[in-house]
This record gives sequence, C-alpha cells and structure tokens, in this order.
Amino acid sequence: MSKMQIPLGPQHPALKEPENFMLVLDGEMIVDATVNLGYNHRGVEKAAENRNYIQDIYLIERICGICSHSHVSCYINAVEEIAKVEVPQRAKAIRTIVAELERIHSHLLWLGVAAFELGYDTLFMYTWRDREQVLDCLELLTGNRVHYGINTIGGVRRDITKEQADEILKKIKYLHERTSYYVGVVTEEPTFLARTQNVGKLPKDVALELNAVGPTARASGIEIDVRKDEPYFIYDQLDFKVITYHSEDVFGRAVVRVLEVIESIKIIEQILKNLPEGPISVKVGWKIGPGEAVFRYEAPRGEDIHYVKANGTEYPERVKVRAPTLANFQSLPYCLKNGYLADAVITIAAIDPCMSCTDRAVVYDIKKGKKEIFDWEELRKYSIEFYRKKGVKFS
Amino acid sequence: MKFKDKIILWSRLKSPWIIHFNTGACNGCDIEIVDALTPKYDIERFGILLKGTPRHADVMIVSGPLTRQQAKRFKRIYDQMPEPKFVLAVGTCACSGGVFDGCYNVIGGIDKVIPVSAYIPGCPVRPEAIIDAVVKLIKELEKSAK
Amino acid sequence: MSELTKEEEILKEIKDKFSDAVENSIIQRKSRIWIDLSENAKLDIMRYLKEKGYYHLSTITGFDEGEKLGAIYHITNHKIIINLRVRTPKENPILKSVLPVYPSATSYERELEDLFGIKIDGLPEGRNYPLPEGFPKGVHPLRKDVKLEELNKMLNEKCVKEE
Repeated sequence: MSKMQIPLGPQHPALKEPENFMLVLDGEMIVDATVNLGYNHRGVEKAAENRNYIQDIYLIERICGICSHSHVSCYINAVEEIAKVEVPQRAKAIRTIVAELERIHSHLLWLGVAAFELGYDTLFMYTWRDREQVLDCLELLTGNRVHYGINTIGGVRRDITKEQADEILKKIKYLHERTSYYVGVVTEEPTFLARTQNVGKLPKDVALELNAVGPTARASGIEIDVRKDEPYFIYDQLDFKVITYHSEDVFGRAVVRVLEVIESIKIIEQILKNLPEGPISVKVGWKIGPGEAVFRYEAPRGEDIHYVKANGTEYPERVKVRAPTLANFQSLPYCLKNGYLADAVITIAAIDPCMSCTDRAVVYDIKKGKKEIFDWEELRKYSIEFYRKKGVKFS
Repeated sequence: MKFKDKIILWSRLKSPWIIHFNTGACNGCDIEIVDALTPKYDIERFGILLKGTPRHADVMIVSGPLTRQQAKRFKRIYDQMPEPKFVLAVGTCACSGGVFDGCYNVIGGIDKVIPVSAYIPGCPVRPEAIIDAVVKLIKELEKSAK
Repeated sequence: MSELTKEEEILKEIKDKFSDAVENSIIQRKSRIWIDLSENAKLDIMRYLKEKGYYHLSTITGFDEGEKLGAIYHITNHKIIINLRVRTPKENPILKSVLPVYPSATSYERELEDLFGIKIDGLPEGRNYPLPEGFPKGVHPLRKDVKLEELNKMLNEKCVKEE
C-alpha cells in the first residue's frame, strides 16, 4: 500500500511545525502510520566538538533527563578506552549502583506514565510516590535527584559511605515490596490486561528485522541485553537474569519492565553487600588520544551507542550519540498498524519514548476523506472514552 | 479596583491555572514539574491546576532552552493567553539556555522572545523551588491587588 | 588459542571473499573489528555479514576528514561489533543506501544527508531529520568547515529577518 503524504491539517494553515505521527484511518482502525522526528534537535554533537572532554560530560548528561547517567557512562567508557585508562573496581561498582538505580527510576516513571495514559490515575500516583525513594537514594549518593554528575574520566567523583550503603539497602527493601505489588497489578488487574494485551503487536521476526532494542525487543522474545552480551562495569561478576516475554505486545513490555526492576534491586543488594575497596578514580590528562572507540550500554530504554574520535587535543574530533528511543521508533509504525486509534497512545508510550517527543498527531480518515489534528491530550481522552464505552474503566 | 475585578483576582489567587510548555528540554525539569503534582509535594493543595489550553491559563511554566523550531509556536501560545499572565522560566535552560547555550539550534533563554515574570534556576529545578516560586507569585498578585 | 578467535575468523572470511574491497582492517580489541572498505562492495559485504548473524545495525556515524566525507556502519551480532568505514569525496559526496539490507537505517541515513550533505542514493523521499524545517539549505552543520560561532551568527540573523 502506498503511503499518503498528507500536508498539515486545516486548523492552523500558517503553522509550519512538523507533526510527529501521521495516522491513516479506515473507520476505527489504523491502516498506516508514519513517524516523523526532529522535534527536539539542539545541536549537541556539534557543540561537543567545541568543548573539552570534561565539559562534554555535563552536556551529554543533559541529552535526556531520565537516562542521563546512561549517556555519560557510555561516552566516558569510550573516552577511557581511547585513553587506555584502567578504572578502579570501586568506581565501576559505584557506577553500576547508580546505573541500576536509574533503571529502577526510569521503569517506575514509565509505569506511572503508562498508567496515566490509560486513565489509571491511582497507579500513576502510587508509582511516582514510590519512585521518590529511588530519587532519595540518588540524592544521598550523588547530591542531585536528576543529572547526577557522578562520573568523571577515570572514575567517579564521590565515594559511598557505610551509612549511605545501609540507608540505600533499607529503601531498596521497601521498594522490593512495592514492586512485587506492581507485578501483581500489571499481571492480574483485569482493566490493565484488557487495555494492554494484544495491543501494539510486534512479532519477533519483525523486531529482529527492524533492530528493536531494550524492553521492546525483549517483550518480543529476543534475548538481548548489553549487560550480558558485552558486559561492562562489574556486570560480569553479578548474578541477574535477562527478562524476556513471549507476548509481543504492550502487556509484555510492561511485564518486562516491572520484572527488570526486581532484578535491578537484586543487583544493587549484591553490590552493596560486597563493595570492592580501593580508590574511586585515576588521574587522566586533559588531552586524549589519538584514537577512536565505540561503546554500547544498556540504558533503561535499550541499547545506547556512542562513538568518540579523539585527535590528541583537549577537544574531541567527533562525538556521535544514538539514543535507544531512535532505534525503537523504526518499529513503531508496524506496532500502530492494524490497531485501533484508541490504542495509539499506549502503543507509542510502550516503547518508552522521551516525553517531549510525543506531542501532536495528525489523523486522516479514509472513509470521511478528511484530516484532523489531535493533540496528545485529546487522543488520550479519546482512548479512555473508547474503552469506557466497552466497559473497561479504572476506578 | 472594581468589585468584579476583585472577584476575578481572588479566583486567580485561589486557583491559578497553569499551562506547561516544553521548548526543547531534556525532560529533567519536566519530570520534576510533574513530580510537584504527586503526593510528596502535592502542588494541587494550592489550588493549582494543570490545564491544556493557553486560553484558560493564568501562568505558563516553561522548561527547556528555546530551540529555533519552537520559537514561533511558543510566541503564538503566549499571545493566546489572556491578560494578566505570568511566565515562569523553570530551570537553568529556560533562564539562560543553560548548558545548551551556544548550540546552533538553541536561541538561548526564553526571555529572548517573551517577558518572564520569574526565573527559577536549577538543573533540574527542585519541586520545592517550583512551589516556592508559585507561592511568591501569588503573594505578588495579592500585593498588586491592594 | 588466542582470545580473539571469533574476531579473527570473521575478518579472515571477509578478507578472503572480498579481498579487492578491503582497504584496511584491524581488530582493535575483543569484540571490535574496524574495516575500511570501498563503497562498491559495501552492500555485498553487508549481505554476507547479515547472513552470518550480524543482523543488527546499531547506528551510522558520519564524519568529515577534510577532503573526504564518509560513514561508519556499526553492525553487530550482539557479541562482536564490526565497524565498516566507507569514504566519498567532498566535492560530490554520494553513498548507496543500505536500506535493502538493513531496513532500520532510515533515520540514520537522513542524518547523513542533513548534517553532512552526503547524498544517499536509494533513500526514499521524506521529511528532513534531524534539522528543522526552515534550516538554510546547503548548510551542513557537522562539516568541519562550518564553524559554530559563524553558524550561530548566520542563524540569528536569519531569525531576525523573519520577524
């Protein structure tokens, strides 16, 4: 079927902004979907070439507020590879703790956002309230709730004391209980199941062909996780499972994420009970290279890959960042097609895109031959209303 | 001040309606803004409601550095808000461009395009700072009413 | 038996089968192979590697070396990353699209067109990515001859003109 290129809708003819999603409808079903990006382009890669390696840490952190540690760790590992630096074990352990805390916070955030999109406000409030425990741990360790700044080239900037470790273990224990409750909600609550099962299907072979990553791929039965495939930090010394599920739908993506939180809790407990002694960083000069390196990292949303080229000066020659959401956007049109318009919101939310990306959608109705612009809030309310009429509503 | 104006101002003070606009942020401030709604900080106890449309809003909270593609749309949404209106620049990026100042697709802070009532620095801004700013704003409104 | 057996095996296979195309190659360390190859053989080598299990295209990195532009294709079977580097002259930069082999490449190839000005032969029509609509045509920010301060000045002047 040929794709129809539809210009922006009638509401704001003078508007020249791109919509993010273009959905072609036949009745209530989506028959075609296009995803357009470029909404949030700032010019980070060019700016990175004009700043030194340390300044770039703070720039790259702010590519995304939800997985900032992931981006920096990936970048720093590439730089350390070029500089041939041996990072001390204690630093790697601290980096792992922050990485897993970030994964927990990101998945709980996702669960809350997904609940909100479905109309399940209570679950949204619960998960975000519990997420505060994780943010407290991160603030205790690093001094900030978001954008931790704990990494430096050659190690980490702050050490962890016994009191901090004990405090984190306490909070983690509470989180373990709460997450077990969420596992129950996700797998047994009939309204949640009704809205997520068989929605946004992405079969395994399509996911492989379109190179899906992270929980989106794992929910289609693909067992990939950079922490196991190419272990970095101290993951090769830790005991944890790669969570996969076979259902290939939004439900599977929710299950994978919630169970991954439990695995992350186990990882943090293992590390804190066995923290290696030693220095927290080694000295590295201002000038790096020459050389080049590529590094892959398992961010909460999936495989994050950075490429760094150094030329022997204080400024990188080239820094390339490919965030995991971009990889998953390639699979999104497939997930949306042959689904209901009412499922579009949760399908898009299920690949866990950055919030600012999902802004406006243009909907074109073949039968009526007209197009309307929906904004996210309208589409969300439409979905909740659609399912309420079918008897699926959250109290 | 006329009686009818006093009623309007009272309702605005008791329940300011807010619209949130993201001009290209990393989402760090956005999640802290949403956090302000959640039980630990609970900004709704001040009667603050997050609304989707600029035509009903008293206060616009803006996060993120002003990117080139957002500038026109941002100005248009500001123009759609009825007077009196207030703009809070939330986070260092909205105040001055922050770490993205100098990037080719970033113009700078949001005050390059519209007047700002209050600057809340922070990277990201803490929910307590957001609540503090809104409370200060309400006090300013009360003062101007007298 | 060296630790790099798998890497050496796959590199040897590529060099044997495509000896004319491989200009340079190195096993940087465990799980990292870098191959400089000629643009003509790129798709054949990719098809071969995909059959061998290197089905995942992580991303494509564009670069500017002065006289030449180019792209590095980072493909992996999740254990080993093979980085394939091709070059094209700056006066007329063209590369063939890898969509026939890796259908996930669309956004990455659009980036090469927008940010470096490399024409991708075979890329279907579509919206620019990542540069916004209205960005001046012919200006490719990631090229080395584009200086950040001058670019900012030019874009600011353009904004003022539009107001």
